[in-house]
Amino acid sequence: MNQILAVQPDLEFKRTILGLDAGDLSACYQCGTCSVVCPISTDDDPFPRKEMVWTQWGQKERLMHDPAMWRCHQCQLCSTYCPREAKPANVMAALREYSVGFHAFPRFLGKWLSDPHYLPVLFGIPVVLLLFALALAGTLTDLPEGEILFRAFIPFLYVEVIFVIACAFALVAGIVGAVRFWRGAVKAMGDPGGAKVTSWEAVWAVVRDIFLHRDFNKCDDERVGDRPTHKTHMPTSHMAVFFGFGGLFITTTGLFIGIYWFDFFPPMSQTHPLKILGNVSGIAVIVAALVFIFRRVVDKEKAGKTTYTDWLFVTVLLLVAATGFLSQIARTADLPGLAYPTYFIHLTLVFFLLAYSPFSKFAHVFYRPTAMLIARYQEARHRMSG
Amino acid sequence: MTRKLGVYVCSGCGIGDCLKTDRLAEIAKDELGAAVVRSSAAFCLEDVQLIRDDVANEGVEAVVIAACSQRVNTDVFAFPEATVDRINIREQVVWCHNAEDPETQSMAEDHLRMGVARSLKRKPPVPYVESNERRILVVGGGVAGLNAALNAARGGFDVVLVEREARLGGVAARLHRQYPKHPPYQAPEEIPLEQLVASVEAEDRIQVYAGSRVARVSGEPGHFEVTVARNGTPLTFVVGAIVLATGWKPADEARLQRYGYGRVPNVITSLELEDMMMKGAVRRPSDGGAIKTIALINVDDATDEQQIPYSGNVESLVALKQALYLRAGDPDRQVYVAYRYMHAPGLNEYFYKSAQQDEGIFLTRATDRSVSRGEDGRVFVDLDSTLLGGRLKIAVDLVVLGTGMEPAAPETDGLNLAYLQGEGLPVNRFGYADSNFICFPYETRRTGIYSAGCVRKAMDLAESARDGAAAALKAIQCIEQSSAGSAVHPRVGDLTYPEILTRHCTQCWRCTQECPFGAIEVDQATRTPRVNPNRCRRCGTCMGCCPMQVISFADYSVDILSSMVRASTLPEGDDAAPRVLVLACENDAYPAIDMAGVNRAALPSSVRIVPVRCLGSVNRALVADAVIMGYDAVALMGCRSGEDYQCHFIHGSEVLQTRIANIREVLDRLALESERVQFLEVQISEADRIPEMLNAIVEKARALGTSPLRYTVE
Repeated sequence: MNQILAVQPDLEFKRTILGLDAGDLSACYQCGTCSVVCPISTDDDPFPRKEMVWTQWGQKERLMHDPAMWRCHQCQLCSTYCPREAKPANVMAALREYSVGFHAFPRFLGKWLSDPHYLPVLFGIPVVLLLFALALAGTLTDLPEGEILFRAFIPFLYVEVIFVIACAFALVAGIVGAVRFWRGAVKAMGDPGGAKVTSWEAVWAVVRDIFLHRDFNKCDDERVGDRPTHKTHMPTSHMAVFFGFGGLFITTTGLFIGIYWFDFFPPMSQTHPLKILGNVSGIAVIVAALVFIFRRVVDKEKAGKTTYTDWLFVTVLLLVAATGFLSQIARTADLPGLAYPTYFIHLTLVFFLLAYSPFSKFAHVFYRPTAMLIARYQEARHRMSG
Repeated sequence: MTRKLGVYVCSGCGIGDCLKTDRLAEIAKDELGAAVVRSSAAFCLEDVQLIRDDVANEGVEAVVIAACSQRVNTDVFAFPEATVDRINIREQVVWCHNAEDPETQSMAEDHLRMGVARSLKRKPPVPYVESNERRILVVGGGVAGLNAALNAARGGFDVVLVEREARLGGVAARLHRQYPKHPPYQAPEEIPLEQLVASVEAEDRIQVYAGSRVARVSGEPGHFEVTVARNGTPLTFVVGAIVLATGWKPADEARLQRYGYGRVPNVITSLELEDMMMKGAVRRPSDGGAIKTIALINVDDATDEQQIPYSGNVESLVALKQALYLRAGDPDRQVYVAYRYMHAPGLNEYFYKSAQQDEGIFLTRATDRSVSRGEDGRVFVDLDSTLLGGRLKIAVDLVVLGTGMEPAAPETDGLNLAYLQGEGLPVNRFGYADSNFICFPYETRRTGIYSAGCVRKAMDLAESARDGAAAALKAIQCIEQSSAGSAVHPRVGDLTYPEILTRHCTQCWRCTQECPFGAIEVDQATRTPRVNPNRCRRCGTCMGCCPMQVISFADYSVDILSSMVRASTLPEGDDAAPRVLVLACENDAYPAIDMAGVNRAALPSSVRIVPVRCLGSVNRALVADAVIMGYDAVALMGCRSGEDYQCHFIHGSEVLQTRIANIREVLDRLALESERVQFLEVQISEADRIPEMLNAIVEKARALGTSPLRYTVE
């Protein structure tokens, strides 16, 4: 930490962060209460006190390669205890939002996702792709007759092609961003001093922590003081979304395997285990998304403003699950006029959610595990240096 | 001729439950010869009328009240026609001693005897009222001086204002802006100096001598003879009191060299930046280039002798002020502020917040700062241990250093006092005019001379203005007291003053040297000491130091104190109880013992407590008397001495400690244990230590055994 840093404050960066609902940042006078109350902050690398002053000083490079903002799980304890109402939690959220755009590959997509002006373009891409698929299938002008079959509306192959490409793109872009972040962070730490950068044990520990929501639970279990924060629902809500998504992933993969290996074609009966899993998972996601939205609206005063990207992500999340159910209901109720358009919207939203995941708030699936891994590395270094 | 004695024994506040008050009354009547003796359940209530009536109708001249401490009910027990002595049998006897113990009664009886002895020995004071000039001299025409003059004039006093420069205003005239003094305390403000100067010049009562110096001051409060050198011609007049508001000067440049000043181009002081702003534009001194980045550095990080002492919060707030006006002058500028301590007390917090809100101002603490030459006229600033973690290097166009405010040397450069102890005002280790800073902030060690503004401590314009007004009030107070023959602080209202029996004086002049306030001069004709009563603060240090014991006050002398000691009784017999005489300073030790009583602490009843004005007033003859009489030990309780002294009279307990060394030598010569005399340091707030301290000295006395001298003197 003792290298001399030639300081060149990036005022533009500072202004942007202040604009991302972190305007109270300036009030910080560096008392360090936030770092003390944070249940996740460690003695070796305490946060968010230093992130506050770095932001005040426009230290963009340093911040963009700082794992702390992704280790934060936004429990709001720091903001609750801040004696100056500088709202460190909002600053951390703003930094995360900025860093998603900063590390984005390709970069323009990062900008598009954070600017409402580009929303039509972003939706336009899947719409055009899907319309093209419908045109190929000949269902663009004439809806299929008879029993409602979504594969008759748009053949599986087309869906698979579009979504496999979208997912592959998202995966590559996300990994590129995460690697950039990783490299910058490791470089900022300087000479490793013999510590191994990473290991399978560390990776395994991170995976375990994620599945058990350990950091989330820390926010609740290891908290100090008794002031109520506004994010106590977070561990549960996030767990619902997390495993809901997991369930939907298994359902989709199962279906994929069923179709290509076993010639098993949907629709499945409502009592099929996979179907039950899918429905339960969907409900979990919807309920959690509703809780997220509800808390954001109800706690607006205390929890701070919700930015555009926050709304975009949580709304798309809700709509994905909701349109999924609606198309299922419309199909069962034999309402083709409702079922097919809803299904179309559903696919558009799923595309939006998955393909743009490295650039939206969803990007945390790439950055947060990376940051957790960096934190493990950091700890190892501190242990070695005694 | 003995004055008519009245003794009043109170039994309220638990006294009657603990003591045999009728026995005290009996002693007063039979043994001490009181003409009138009365008892009451509460003399402080309507029964005080009994005392008043006795004074008015019975001709009682010496009132002795055995009740509560002399520190309380002073307004109730005030009888202008008589002297009043208070025997503290409440706080120091019944509240801290066991009612069952016969020693408690004995202690009360002894304190009664001692109080009556004092009462019979004292003389009513004859006040000295010869110096009563009411004009006030204000030295220094800066904001503090101008306000002092204005406030004194508005208070109805004539003022002479002497300013060295040709124009009034002082440093304020050099300043571009001041930090805010009005709500919402967010932006730098204009300095309303012109109005202030105009109102001073318009005031009829104020005579301004600009371009003048004070050449000589002699005399005393109520009658200072002042000579002012004005355009080379001396001008002489008389004033009653003086306000010294000579301000400050920038710290020695050599001290700023460590921050690159004079060594690296484009490093200036904050005062030079103000000059630059007054001229209109901020440009790089080296090449006149534009200034986009500026580092404002507080020079408060040195820990060695290079340390620039005490600019206090002024330096911090000036840096914030300059950061804000530099930013306002050009919104593209980036301004860094590095400090070790950021002081923004009180409402200035709002100003600090407003600097924080400015996106182009970067604040950080840093413990080590070095400044070096950069490229193209730029300056590199290295900061260590910053809030950002580790070291920082900043390249800037201009470095502005805190100026460092040193008081205008009041010890050498000011009033040219015609005092035996020196021409200047004694200063403390920071160069400010010395006094008991906490208890008497405006007083200097020359009574009647009050310091105000930055010569007193580093402060801003608003505080200087208030300071000037406050010092003017002190000067007025001084004039009023002096002309009535009364002491000013801290013994306000004391009408006595030291009187020297010059025919017995050996002309050692020790009193002229030991007086903390330079009150005693040498009479050129008789070569004996001569007291200037109004310079005196009545501490009695002269009385304590005099080897011939020829200095005394009407109500306070070695003889009076000695009589009190001798009035107490010492038990005889082989296993007699120990007796310890406690001479307690009235300002710290005595209130602390009172407080121990209020807290119902358990104190040893073998002590006999005599209040003294200051330990400096304790003459070694008095201690010798107590030892020779047979006291087993003498404890001298006073305040902390040295650099952070707490003495109201500067060095009372310090000079006493050297006297103790002499006393101990005498004890050794008498083949007595020198530990029988001890100095005990106590602060007014240390009531909780009193039981431990007194018990320790009593145990010491017990361990040393009964004084062998106890049986030799009646």
